[in-house]
Amino acid sequence: MTPIQMTFSTNFLLGLMGLTFHRTHLLSALLRLESMMLSLFLATSLWALQLSTINIATVPMLVLAFSACSASSGLRLLVATARTHGSDHMQNLNLLQC
Amino acid sequence: MNPYLLIVLLTSLGLGTALTLSSTHWLLAWLGLEVGTLAILPLMAQRHHPRATEAATKYFIVQATAAATLLFAAFNNAWLQGHSDIQHMSHPLFTSMITLALLLKLGLAPMHTWMPQVIQGVSLNTGLIVSTWQKIAPFILLLQIKQIHPPLLTIIGLASILIGGWGGLNQTQLRKILAYSSIAHLGWILLILQHSTALATYALLIYIFMTSATFITLKKCKATTINMLTTTWTKAPTITLVAPLMLLSLGGLPPLSGFAPKWFILQELTQLNFIPHASIAAMAALLSLSYYLRLSYSITLSLSPNNLPECLQWRVNYPISTPLSSALPAALALTLFLLPLTPSALTLII
Repeated sequence: MTPIQMTFSTNFLLGLMGLTFHRTHLLSALLRLESMMLSLFLATSLWALQLSTINIATVPMLVLAFSACSASSGLRLLVATARTHGSDHMQNLNLLQC
Repeated sequence: MNPYLLIVLLTSLGLGTALTLSSTHWLLAWLGLEVGTLAILPLMAQRHHPRATEAATKYFIVQATAAATLLFAAFNNAWLQGHSDIQHMSHPLFTSMITLALLLKLGLAPMHTWMPQVIQGVSLNTGLIVSTWQKIAPFILLLQIKQIHPPLLTIIGLASILIGGWGGLNQTQLRKILAYSSIAHLGWILLILQHSTALATYALLIYIFMTSATFITLKKCKATTINMLTTTWTKAPTITLVAPLMLLSLGGLPPLSGFAPKWFILQELTQLNFIPHASIAAMAALLSLSYYLRLSYSITLSLSPNNLPECLQWRVNYPISTPLSSALPAALALTLFLLPLTPSALTLII
C-alpha cells in the first residue's frame, strides 16, 4: 500500500470512527461525514496523477457534487431536527425506541 | 404533497435504482444509491412530525455512511487492482468492507437497529417504499460481488433470521413488526445469495409482493397498532377474511406463495450439505410465525360476541381509495396464489 493510499485511508477511517462514536451533537456527525467525503475527493484527485490514467479525471468533481448534495440534505435535516426537537443533541432523538 | 414535487421525487427514486442496476462501474452504482437516498428523504420528512424528522435523520446518516464506506472500499480496490468493475473484485479486505456496507444499507443484523425505528417513524406508504423498493439496488450489487469469505453472508443471514424473529415478539406497533419481518426475510435471501442467484431473486420478488400486500392492507384499515387491527371487520370485512392468509403467507406456510422461497432455499441448502444452517433457519422461522399468528388472531379470530348488525363503528368511515389501494387485489392475488406457478416462475428467472 503506497503512502498516499495510507494517508487517505487513515483520513477516511478517522472520520468513520468519529461518526461511529459520536456523542452529543448531530452536527459533529455531519461534519465527520463531510470529512469522509473529503478524503474520497483527495483519493480520486490523486488517482489520475499517481496511476497515470487520465480518463477518470472528472470523477473528483462528480464525487464533490454529490457529497455537496448529501451535505445540504443533512443540514436541512439538522434544521428540521432543531425545529422539532429543540436542539441537535443526540440524546433527544429517542422518540422511536423499541 | 405538491403533485409536481411528488412526481419528481418518485421519478428520482426510480432513476436511482435504474442507475445502480445498469452499472458496471462502482462510481455509477454509488451515484444511483445516493440519488435514491436523497429522493426518499423529503418523502419521509414531509409530515413535519418529530417522529418523522427523527426517522429521516437516522435513515440519512445510516445510508450516507454506508455509501461513503462503499465508495472508499471501491476506490481502494480499484487503486490496487487497476480496474473498478463490480463483477471482478479481488481484494479480500475491501470486498468484505463493501459487503458490510451494503448489508448496513439493507438493514441486516447486526446493523439492523435503525430499521424498526425508521419504518416506525414514517407513514405507511413511505415505509412500503423503504421496505421494498430501496432493497432492490443493494441486493443487485450484492449478487454481483464474488464473495471471498462465504461464511460472512451465511452467519449474517442466520443472525438476521433469528433477530428478526426475536425482535418482533415484543412489539405492538405494526410498523416495527413489519420491519422485523423484513429483516428476517432479507436474512433468508442472504442465506442463498452466494449459492443460487435465481432463488435469491425469486425470494426477493415474493418478499416484495407479500410486504406490499401487508402495507396496503394496513393502510386501508388505517391501523398502526395491534389494537387498531381489531376493528377491521367493521371497516372492511373482506380484508378480515383474507388478511390471515396473507400473514400466513408471510410466515411461509403452504399452500400459499410464501412457502415457495423457503422451500427451495431449504432444499438448496440441504443439497449443498449445509444441514445446521437449514435447521436453524427453519426453526427460527417459527419465531416470525408466532407474531404473524398474533396479528391474524387480532384481525379475524377475535370478534366481539354481539350480533352483526349491532356492531357498527361509531365513527363513520367513508371508503377511501388511495392510489395505492387499487394495487391491493393484485398484490393479494400474488401473495396467495403463486405457489402452483413456481416452476414457470423459476424458469423465467433462471
